[in-house]
Amino acid sequence: MSARSDNLKSPEVLQCSKCGACLPVCPVYLQKMEEGASPRAKVQLSKHYTEQNLPTSSHLNNLINCCLMCGNCTAACPSGVQHQSLFMRMRSYMATDHGEGWHLKTLYHFLSHEQQLRLASRFAKLGRNHMLNYLAREVKIGNIPVKRLPKFNKRPFREQIIEDVKQNTPSRGTVLYFTGCGTNYIFDKVGHSLCRILKVMGFHVEIPKSQVCCGLPLFVHGNLEKAATNITTNIKLFNRNDIVAVVTDCATCGSALHKEYEIVLKELGMDTEAAKELGSKVRDISEFILGNYELLEPHLNSKATRQKVTYHMPCHLRNGQGVTTEIETLLKRLPHVEYTRADDYDTCCGGGGTFFYDHPETSYQIVSRKIKNARATGADLWVTGCPGCSINLSGNLQEEDNISVEHILLLIEQALKK
Amino acid sequence: MDGKIKKELLAIVGDGRFRDQQEDLLSYSYDAFTVESVPDLVLLPVSATEISEILKIASKYRIPVTPRGAGSSICGAPVPVKGGIVLSMTMMNRILETNTPDRYCIVQPGVINGDLQTELAKTGFFYPPDPGSMGFSTIGGNVAQNAGGPRCLKYGVTSDYVLGMEVVLASGDIIRFGSRNVKDVTGYRLFGLFCGSEGTLGVVTEITLKVIPQPAAYRTVLAVFNDLDDSAATVADIIGSGILPAALELLDKVLINAVEDANNIGLPRAAEGLLLIEVDGSEEQVEKELALIIEKTENNNAVDIQEARTPEERDKLWQARRSLYPSMARIKPNCIVEDATVPASKVPAMIRGIRSIVNKHELLVGISAHAGDGNMHPLISCDMRDLDEMERVEKAIEEIFTLAMSYNGTLSGEHGIGIAKRKYLPMSIDEPTLKFMHTLKHAVDPYGILNPGKAI
Repeated sequence: MSARSDNLKSPEVLQCSKCGACLPVCPVYLQKMEEGASPRAKVQLSKHYTEQNLPTSSHLNNLINCCLMCGNCTAACPSGVQHQSLFMRMRSYMATDHGEGWHLKTLYHFLSHEQQLRLASRFAKLGRNHMLNYLAREVKIGNIPVKRLPKFNKRPFREQIIEDVKQNTPSRGTVLYFTGCGTNYIFDKVGHSLCRILKVMGFHVEIPKSQVCCGLPLFVHGNLEKAATNITTNIKLFNRNDIVAVVTDCATCGSALHKEYEIVLKELGMDTEAAKELGSKVRDISEFILGNYELLEPHLNSKATRQKVTYHMPCHLRNGQGVTTEIETLLKRLPHVEYTRADDYDTCCGGGGTFFYDHPETSYQIVSRKIKNARATGADLWVTGCPGCSINLSGNLQEEDNISVEHILLLIEQALKK
Repeated sequence: MDGKIKKELLAIVGDGRFRDQQEDLLSYSYDAFTVESVPDLVLLPVSATEISEILKIASKYRIPVTPRGAGSSICGAPVPVKGGIVLSMTMMNRILETNTPDRYCIVQPGVINGDLQTELAKTGFFYPPDPGSMGFSTIGGNVAQNAGGPRCLKYGVTSDYVLGMEVVLASGDIIRFGSRNVKDVTGYRLFGLFCGSEGTLGVVTEITLKVIPQPAAYRTVLAVFNDLDDSAATVADIIGSGILPAALELLDKVLINAVEDANNIGLPRAAEGLLLIEVDGSEEQVEKELALIIEKTENNNAVDIQEARTPEERDKLWQARRSLYPSMARIKPNCIVEDATVPASKVPAMIRGIRSIVNKHELLVGISAHAGDGNMHPLISCDMRDLDEMERVEKAIEEIFTLAMSYNGTLSGEHGIGIAKRKYLPMSIDEPTLKFMHTLKHAVDPYGILNPGKAI
């Protein structure tokens, strides 16, 4: 059955003045330089499709899905078109019309079933961590060689750590930590750094054990109903009144919790009040640390080993949470950092969730330019605030690159007094 | 289009730059104007040689060819109303040379105006034409429409900065004219003819532009008025007294509030009229000119004068000015902007006239103007699906043009004719003159394949 027989809606398309302001900010358009790749064309095609002037087709499916969902178009749109809502809905229509790839089906299944995700991560760990070397060198996922993918955590982070991390000094309040799948299954070091830093700053960190995937990979692909289950679970756990903030170390989870939960629930016609409340409590960890920097400063060692650093700004920090200058400000304040801004430091890395897998060539061209600019700074460390960006940037570096990609939390932790 | 012809064209550009699927064709059926028309084929050439080959085939088979830049025109110029081929120039987007010691640069047509500005700024130079779309419109498109912009009041429009061009004619011949010299009277001044020709005379494939040093200083102020007439009178007063600001922009209350609704930048919502004024030049010059301008605004009952204190505040004001069109477009599905232009002394009368016309027809219209050069910009918020409203829009537009012509004005100051204003041409151009234009067109494009249905 085609989604076209449903009651299609797309109020956003009437708002688009077709002015073209979205063209020069769209990483995919800038790579392809043809109108079909632009946000404006996606809006126009959506208009024709939902007005039933354009039949569905695999080409339409490709055009609609060839999008990083970075949100640059929405941020730049002077007419206020909410591209993400429209594209989410169009992706769900396309999924109804054409079905989903096996990789997406698998992804949806695991991300909406935390128990099985935990189990799957164990097998993936075995696979990744014990893959024969020659295989790991040859096999690629999207454009990333398997050997350049990070290894999985020995045990999920949330199983390694107690639910309550007590503070040293009299408590400055409770912070709830949304760990995200990135930290839980891959980057456990980031999670430990976060707990240690907040602890020395005097906060009581709580990590609700039954939290689940933020749901963003589900809803950006149009799988709104499955996402709603995850969203409701997380809202119940995190929307508390006795806390200072909900912190995230993943730009993507942060943007889901901060802004997009409300959009998704609204799209489904569900109550958005609690989502809105939760959104106002969510802080990216860089924003939270910067806002309380005076609590961190006394614990920093001015003689910590100096590092040459550059930075990649995740789209989900800027467009999803309005976190724009915070990480750069931190980098300029940290005593052991020599910071150089790279050209294009604020453009998308081209990873885009599963984009690097679905559109490897375009993704590779986008990330290559970023790598060239990062190399040119002469930095040893490429700091970012998103595990997704980390995997994509690091995965596309070459053997000879003497630069490593790291979450800003690890860099901050290095400067803590012993 | 015949499969055999398609094969010939495919052989020129190859798979990767040949598009004939419905979804891609729809993506090239529009610009920022209201009319849409689907082409039969889209080609994305990368060289003059390819374009020459394409035009030879198009001439042979009499296929319409519509060149297209970013598709940000608001008069329908790149909309392929007769179908045929859309020639998208976006992949020809290299800045070939910037030579600031000799004060020129050479660009391909797909270069974005704003990208050129960024490149030039590194050496302290700039290219003055600054259409509202400068962040995304292409130099080729700017040339085709002879684009203007706020600072053209002082610095002149696109055609004042073109030194030379490479153009592919409908025959496939590649011609080059002009040079890298500001002074050049060798042969006809053909680039004046091609600027504003809207792709009807040839396909521009390379442009040599004059660039000039950035001024040492600038000052930007916002003058607030409780009466729109007072703001218009100030404009006539400033220009009449011999001061030439870099920009002198007028906004009425409807627009002030539309911009605030969209962008919330802190414009005074209660004001009836605003003037955004910028002066530039040497420190002494801007100081002196600004004092004179402030005196004029005060004489005309300005209730407040605010100065942008930082570059960020200045950017914000200009951002507000550039966002007028989309800010009005978000109120209703469509927005039509006209740009009738009158001599500066007629600005107050023209603004009163436009207001009374749109009130009579009960339309939602914001009035802005690059007021210093009399370039009116009434922005009509409308819904194409509302036929009664569209009928009133048509009537109002015609009356505005009639009024402008009565003040020795012209139909379009900078947006171009496209399909939007073509039927009004006889109001502005008499029959022998229009005939002369058609003679020229026929001489270079005997089969009428280049952007048919536009400009003249």
